Amino acid sequence: MFRKKKHAAPEATFKEVWSKGNIATKLSFFFMGSNALANKQWVKGIALLLAEVAFIAWFVFSGISAISMLSSLGPIKNKKVVYDNAQGVYITKQPSNSVLILLFGLLAIIICIAMVYLYIVNLRSTRKNYVLQRDGKHILTNKEELANLFDSRLHDTLMTFPIIGILCFTILPTIFMISMAFTNYNRQHPIAFSWTGFQAFGNVLSGDLSGTFFPVLGWTLVWAVAATATTFFFGVLLALLIESKGIKHKGFWRTIFVIVWAVPQFVSLLMMAQFLDYQGALNNILMNIGWISHPLHFIDSQASPLVARITVIIVNMWIGIPVSMLVSTAIIQNLPTDQIEAAKIDGANALQVFKSITFPQILFVMAPSLIQQFIGNINNFNVIFLLTGGAPMNNKYNGAGSTDLLVTWLYNLTFGQEQRYNASAVLGILIFIISAVFSLIAYRHTNAFKEG
Amino acid sequence: MSIWKKVALGSTAVLAAMSLAACSNGKSDSSSSSSSNQNTKLTLWVDTNQVSYYKKIASDFTKSHKNISVRVTQNPTGSANAKTDVGKDPSKAADVFEAPNDQLGQLADSGYINPLSPKDSNNIKSNYIDVAAKGVTWKGKIYAYPYAQQAQTIYYNKSKLSASDVKDWKTLTSKGVVATDFTNAYVMWPVFFSAGTKLYGDSGEDLKGSTFNSAKGVNALKWFAEQKNNKGVMQTSNALNQLKKGNAQAILDGPWNAANIKKILGKNFAVAKYPMIDVGGKNVQMQAFLGIEGFAVNAHTKSPKAASQLAAFITDKKSQLIAHKEAGQIPVLKEAVNDSVIKNDPVADAVIEMSKPGNSVLMPKLPQMSVFWNDVPPLINGAYDGKVKPDQYKAQLDKLAKHSSKK
Amino acid sequence: MKSYQNQKRLSLIFRYLLLIILAVAWILPIIWIILASFSYNDTGFVSTFWPDKFTFDNYIGIFTNSQYPLVSWIINTLIVSILSMIISTFLTISVAYVLSRLRFSFRKPFMQIALVLGMFPGFMSMIALYYILKGLNMLNLGGLLLVYVGGAGLGFYVAKGFFDTVPFSIDEAAEIDGATKWQIFMHVDLPLAKPMIVYTALTAFIGPWTDFIFSGIILSTSGNPKTYTIAYGLYNMVHNTKGNATAYFAEFVAGCVIIAIPITILFVFMQKFYVNGITAGAEKG
Repeated sequence: MFRKKKHAAPEATFKEVWSKGNIATKLSFFFMGSNALANKQWVKGIALLLAEVAFIAWFVFSGISAISMLSSLGPIKNKKVVYDNAQGVYITKQPSNSVLILLFGLLAIIICIAMVYLYIVNLRSTRKNYVLQRDGKHILTNKEELANLFDSRLHDTLMTFPIIGILCFTILPTIFMISMAFTNYNRQHPIAFSWTGFQAFGNVLSGDLSGTFFPVLGWTLVWAVAATATTFFFGVLLALLIESKGIKHKGFWRTIFVIVWAVPQFVSLLMMAQFLDYQGALNNILMNIGWISHPLHFIDSQASPLVARITVIIVNMWIGIPVSMLVSTAIIQNLPTDQIEAAKIDGANALQVFKSITFPQILFVMAPSLIQQFIGNINNFNVIFLLTGGAPMNNKYNGAGSTDLLVTWLYNLTFGQEQRYNASAVLGILIFIISAVFSLIAYRHTNAFKEG
Repeated sequence: MSIWKKVALGSTAVLAAMSLAACSNGKSDSSSSSSSNQNTKLTLWVDTNQVSYYKKIASDFTKSHKNISVRVTQNPTGSANAKTDVGKDPSKAADVFEAPNDQLGQLADSGYINPLSPKDSNNIKSNYIDVAAKGVTWKGKIYAYPYAQQAQTIYYNKSKLSASDVKDWKTLTSKGVVATDFTNAYVMWPVFFSAGTKLYGDSGEDLKGSTFNSAKGVNALKWFAEQKNNKGVMQTSNALNQLKKGNAQAILDGPWNAANIKKILGKNFAVAKYPMIDVGGKNVQMQAFLGIEGFAVNAHTKSPKAASQLAAFITDKKSQLIAHKEAGQIPVLKEAVNDSVIKNDPVADAVIEMSKPGNSVLMPKLPQMSVFWNDVPPLINGAYDGKVKPDQYKAQLDKLAKHSSKK
Repeated sequence: MKSYQNQKRLSLIFRYLLLIILAVAWILPIIWIILASFSYNDTGFVSTFWPDKFTFDNYIGIFTNSQYPLVSWIINTLIVSILSMIISTFLTISVAYVLSRLRFSFRKPFMQIALVLGMFPGFMSMIALYYILKGLNMLNLGGLLLVYVGGAGLGFYVAKGFFDTVPFSIDEAAEIDGATKWQIFMHVDLPLAKPMIVYTALTAFIGPWTDFIFSGIILSTSGNPKTYTIAYGLYNMVHNTKGNATAYFAEFVAGCVIIAIPITILFVFMQKFYVNGITAGAEKG
């Protein structure tokens, strides 16, 4: 039913609108909304006009300077400590605050783009009214325009606030972050910094951080694959186990597992770190049962990197399997049973049925969410940060431990001892590129994102 | 066409931007114009457990300074992270905040804090113990009002170990178990001082003055490696718990935990200075880092004078003694140090003993300390648990020296 | 025939055994956390499974602690999470509905941009977010709410998958009857999407209870513990000062158990909706 709206060729060119339009139409090229006002579309006209006035006022008073400061990120690069005789104390003359200059500069650019867009919108609206007038058709009244917001333009109404939110709280910060990668914003330049091109990329890819970047990247990928695969595979098995014939109180069993997933991670993982400590409860239990004679190093700083990494993956299974169990349960319940029945009649055993029918079907249904999980695991901050904090330590790395992922290392670089904001921004970009490449390949292969 | 949404979107964006821009403009105006003395408002950041008594001290301050009001709040993540807390947004940080002395260099170089006025500086130089004045001096200027000294000491259970047992590491670890943490550079690095090496020269400000990448430094790493097989040494992330369980009879810890340890050991509580250790074939004093806690004045404060007055007030003799009474902080003002209360406190006694030259070294203040704190734990821990092999010691120390002396 | 019966019974016993072992392994650490909250502790570390000494003091302590106002935290979190739940749910469901049901020029670009934005690690935006909120003078719970709500438009995937499965013919019938699209949205499709709304709302509700990173960045500068949310407040309790971790650890665990209980109940309640949402979205593939 919802006919796909085709972009029909404009019934009139802007040139025609300009040359043949009446005064109000012509004025619209300079004073946005004049045409709308002339056609008594008050709300639209006033909104457009106000936007233009506000924009020009802002642009003159602060927009120009905000944008022009962007090129240098502020004129004063060094602080100056001077003695204030009147007060009898030293005061510090601060350098330009480059963070704010960068942020407001980017905001100014976004506003200008929004304004250009608004201008085009204004022209299109003018053209539409012009064409309607020329062809002697009914021009929408103010009321009809407003009513349309809840009918044929419902999408505009509903999308406005989400888009503003995304613009302010996702897009602007993301662009800011990307810009930061091209500056020398770090411990040495904490307030006033400058553009330095690809220098920070150089530090990460071939400079003093490269010895950490590539091994950590390797572990991040291994982790993401292992974490995604183990939780998925064993989640499916657990679901099959609970769903299998003869097991009673299925809801009760599922709930037990769901509880683990429900406890906030900063509780369960912080406590898990103590549970697994060298002198922790698990080692005590194991020694009391007599399974081990000496405590084991699971995730503390003396642990071997391999043991710690395996432990992290196992703890992640503890947290992740309940979710995939739930999802697989739903899929299993909805699977067509005729194929399985047919296979059983043909004499296939349970393993064969699982291997060639159940599992592939679940995999097919789950593929898109698996890709999302994979990306999520690349950025899985909580498990590493709360559980190991990167331990065991690795003296070959710079500011990271053996279980640190790129994202926790990024956090350390920003909020830890070294405060290398630019390097962490570079890491953010590289994480993005890696995620993008992997999802592109995956989506291509699973063909699941036809809609795209 | 979807005109409506775009109109709304565009105009909202424009309006939002205007308000943002207005805010930013308004801010810069106010910061430049307000320096009048009427009703100055100050904020003071202290650690969570100190809030209650600093509130009292601050209210005393406002009694004598009628036109100043003070708001005492806890710092975001603890004074040990002053650098990052203030660095996040210096203009929102408190006018006066607490910081350990090793961060002063970076705080000063970044322009986050003001140096003290000549008058206050002279006061500190003449009335405070020498290490305190030296501890807060950076490039010839004093940057904080010191109020406490911190050095690790050994806390032990005196029903299990005698005072003479804890004088030497060898007897200590043969008669009992000492629990400590080899991943903590603050606790462990000073063994390098015992081994006879220097970190950033004698002044702690000399970027090229480190001498730990030498045979003596290798000796220190060897000492860590030896402790792995010493039955009397326990590596733990939770020394207190081991002390309580009786698995360990002694721990290396700082005055900030003294109250907790007293609770655990009760009347068996005892404290002493660090023992002697055998490094590189010599029996030498095990050393510690000496830290000076101080209050610094935020360079972004609108009223630097009032802030300095507040910082000076909360670090005077009375306040230092309150800090000692409430939180076991060891004073640094000569008069306060000589007070009978301090003289009779065994913890203070041990810390003051540790703060003497030869027993401890002031934490350097170079901004490069951040590299140092990052790089050292894996190295010491690696030497301890064998991940770093003895034949790599020299190379690893060279690497550390190179990295930590980079500009 | 008998051997077949035996085999079947054996298999059932074996499966039950496996299930019990797994369930114990899963639930054991949780039980330990609860036990730890009742154990007397003055060292900041719990090294045994069974407490040496039971006490209720931790719970009394956490409610009466003057530095850590747990009750204020709970109230703050409740306010933020309820508002965030209402606003985010409306935004997320609208976006999902619009993207699923309506066709317009920026539909595809929007979905592509959303996909791309989702791949940037959220952390890096924190510095900018902080300054944006500072510019708006909203370094408080209101600002935190804005952050939670601001991203709501990007979390449409599951709900969109759900709407995709609702047959279009229902809408067509309503349109023939002369309903506007708004009416169709409000009166036809929303009632059908009830499980999805419940799921979205619960997810949005739980978010503020578990987030300790963003809340920390935004709320910590005030220095006033009364303005914290519970996740950051609790996290801050043991990650603040040297010595703090020791003194307050037991109360921290008690506080954790207190907030984990309602969230767990919500989750158990939510699992059905969660499953419906996920599978509806996935089946579309």
